Amino acid sequence: MKSLLLAETMKIAKQSKTYYALGAIFLIELLILITAYYQGSTILDLLLDNLKQSFYFEGTLLNGNLIMYIVLNSLWFNVPLILMIVTSGILTDEYKDGTLQTVMLQAVKKWKFMLAKYIIAVCFTLFVIVFMMISTCVLAYSIFGKGDLVVYLNTLNFFESYDAFRRICLAFVSGAIAMVFYCIVSITLAVFIKEAAKTWIASALFLVITNLLLKVDFGLKVVNNYFFPKLIDTWQQLFYYETDWLHILANNMVLILYSFALTIWGIVVFHKKDIG
Amino acid sequence: MIRLVFIVFLFIAQMGAAQSIDADLLQIKERMDGVKQFSATITLNLDVPFINMPTKSAKVNYVQGKRMTFSSSDFVMLPKRGLDFSLSEIFRYPFITVDRGIEKRDGKSLKVINVIPTDKRSELALATLYMDVKAKRMVASEINTRKEGSYTLFMQYASVKDILPSYVEATFAIERLKIPLNFMGKDTKIDRKKMRSMDTKTGKIKMQIHDYHIN
Amino acid sequence: MLIGNNLSKTYPSKKALEDVSIQIAAGQICGLLGRNGAGKTTLFKILCGLIKPDKGKVIINSKQPKPVGGIIERPGLYNYLNAHDNLKIFAGIQGVATDRDAIHQHLLKVGLPLDRKDPVRNFSMGMKQRLGIAIALLNDPECLVLDEPFSGLDPIGVASLITLIQRLATEENIAILLSSHLMGELSRCCHYLYVIDDGRIVNAGTAVQLINDHISSFSITAKNISSSSTLEKYQTIQGINEVKVVCNAKEIPFLLKELLKEGIEVTACTPDLTLEELIKSNR
Repeated sequence: MKSLLLAETMKIAKQSKTYYALGAIFLIELLILITAYYQGSTILDLLLDNLKQSFYFEGTLLNGNLIMYIVLNSLWFNVPLILMIVTSGILTDEYKDGTLQTVMLQAVKKWKFMLAKYIIAVCFTLFVIVFMMISTCVLAYSIFGKGDLVVYLNTLNFFESYDAFRRICLAFVSGAIAMVFYCIVSITLAVFIKEAAKTWIASALFLVITNLLLKVDFGLKVVNNYFFPKLIDTWQQLFYYETDWLHILANNMVLILYSFALTIWGIVVFHKKDIG
Repeated sequence: MIRLVFIVFLFIAQMGAAQSIDADLLQIKERMDGVKQFSATITLNLDVPFINMPTKSAKVNYVQGKRMTFSSSDFVMLPKRGLDFSLSEIFRYPFITVDRGIEKRDGKSLKVINVIPTDKRSELALATLYMDVKAKRMVASEINTRKEGSYTLFMQYASVKDILPSYVEATFAIERLKIPLNFMGKDTKIDRKKMRSMDTKTGKIKMQIHDYHIN
Repeated sequence: MLIGNNLSKTYPSKKALEDVSIQIAAGQICGLLGRNGAGKTTLFKILCGLIKPDKGKVIINSKQPKPVGGIIERPGLYNYLNAHDNLKIFAGIQGVATDRDAIHQHLLKVGLPLDRKDPVRNFSMGMKQRLGIAIALLNDPECLVLDEPFSGLDPIGVASLITLIQRLATEENIAILLSSHLMGELSRCCHYLYVIDDGRIVNAGTAVQLINDHISSFSITAKNISSSSTLEKYQTIQGINEVKVVCNAKEIPFLLKELLKEGIEVTACTPDLTLEELIKSNR
């Protein structure tokens, strides 16, 4: 198993598309930072203009915490889409290049091979989120400094700097779990679809539908609490003023269970399929 | 004829009484003017629907004749109305006062007067002041501005001798407070129905003021 | 030894294999001749364990962790990696030594250069085939299955690959099964031939026997062939530098002797045997 994991790591490290993905995510961060630097104050002033009629504002809300929060919002669509494209390629490229057949002709167990792919995809996803977090943290706090965070989620919530940073870190952890779920979905789709372009379309569609279903009220409490689209926004619940920590933990646990279930399903289907 | 004279006499008497500024108010003003400069620490709590803010702290600096300045290590929102301890806004333009008698609040007898600005430039339309004549200080006020709605202030003092309050509570109508929608958050709608049906339509800002350094 | 007994496989669109039996002994090179779509690749996939047959079974007398190595259709390589890294990955995943010397040995075995560091996408087809064979030979399989190994190769590449295959069979004692639709290449290197058509084995035998039994004409190349009187006794088709002579394998030694007596300088004598003839002959 260790040798399979090393092989997968080597493959992902030597492919140029890995670095394109990292570059794309870094570019998104830079765009957010540049926009915030040049237009952030203006936008904030516009947004809070009415409040300013009744209040004096002391201190700035345009700070590193706000930038980190804006970058976190890339976890709705931009980041999962990029991740799903790269991680699905871990399998679809093997089908396309015929290397899957070559691997299956070696003394390698199918289920181990597939499990190694899932593990490396998860590790890559976590690496990307850590990279995103650290790079944004360094740039945002060095350029914009620290300060209170303001977030509008049904109510206008203000968080003190240290509390905001703590919530942002936990949000990255929770967001990472959501991204891991998405990447596992993309690989499982690749097991069924096999072709790269079709898998990308299916992954993007899954992402869109999940985001749409997030807002639907299904009527049943069980569905509203545990259906997977309802768990994707768990990271944002960390920014409600009254934080339900138990609910957030439960959501993340259920999402991890979904990820395990999908992994097992993907491995079982792959194991049963003929190759070629 | 006699009736007409009587009415004119009452009117003139009323005018005479109204045209002068209430002496107690002037005494309180004089006392406040004795404070040329002070600094203090304000601990702020917002009790406003749809806004959640932790308890905040800021330093305030007042110099007579100048705008109050604030400093804070982190972000803080301070109400524009409610920190006007020196009654400078009321005294900015000429006004008349009308005595509304005595009212009892929390076991204290308070003199109530209406302040009616006579200059159109004044931002105030009408102010009702509740004064503790014995302690020579303001206890409460209801301010109606021309353009920015109404708010009430309630003040408490640490000791009988203090002219500067240790606690100020500003209450205002929340319709005036426009909350920005979709502010970098989830695409959720503000519950306007909920807002309209709310029993309490006011927001409060509670300020504890301490560590006064008065010059 | 690699044995396939009564193998059948049906797909929704057609019957790919019907009751196919095949046997390759150690050190032997067997050829599988058939047209495109005859069932060669399906048979190879079953022998390699990539797909399961609907009926029949595959018997491999080997205790190796990887009893059968092979290339199916085309060598599947990581195009963005170089030859060294490709071998390293495929060796690593099955626990075979991946140190530099071990990888170099594998490269030398198939005649690949040690100093090429560029990615495999820059390799010629012949080099890719060699690398594919090197990967197929990892973990010392006792059988090697090569599906259309000569496709895309020029005559020099084909000759070079045949030399390599023959060396592997004799020196490493590997049972080798090749497939192709090219009669000439297989007849040159195989001890035994199977002919497959429409999913069934329609002919089988040693290469010499099959050729001798089915050959009906030869192409003879000689400088002054047009002046031969011996050839007047035979049915011939004149070419520019060669003549196609209708005669069987038993007659050709006598014909060549007669031409030599006449002073005809024969430089080549190639049997003309087409796949269609091998397929037709047994129906």
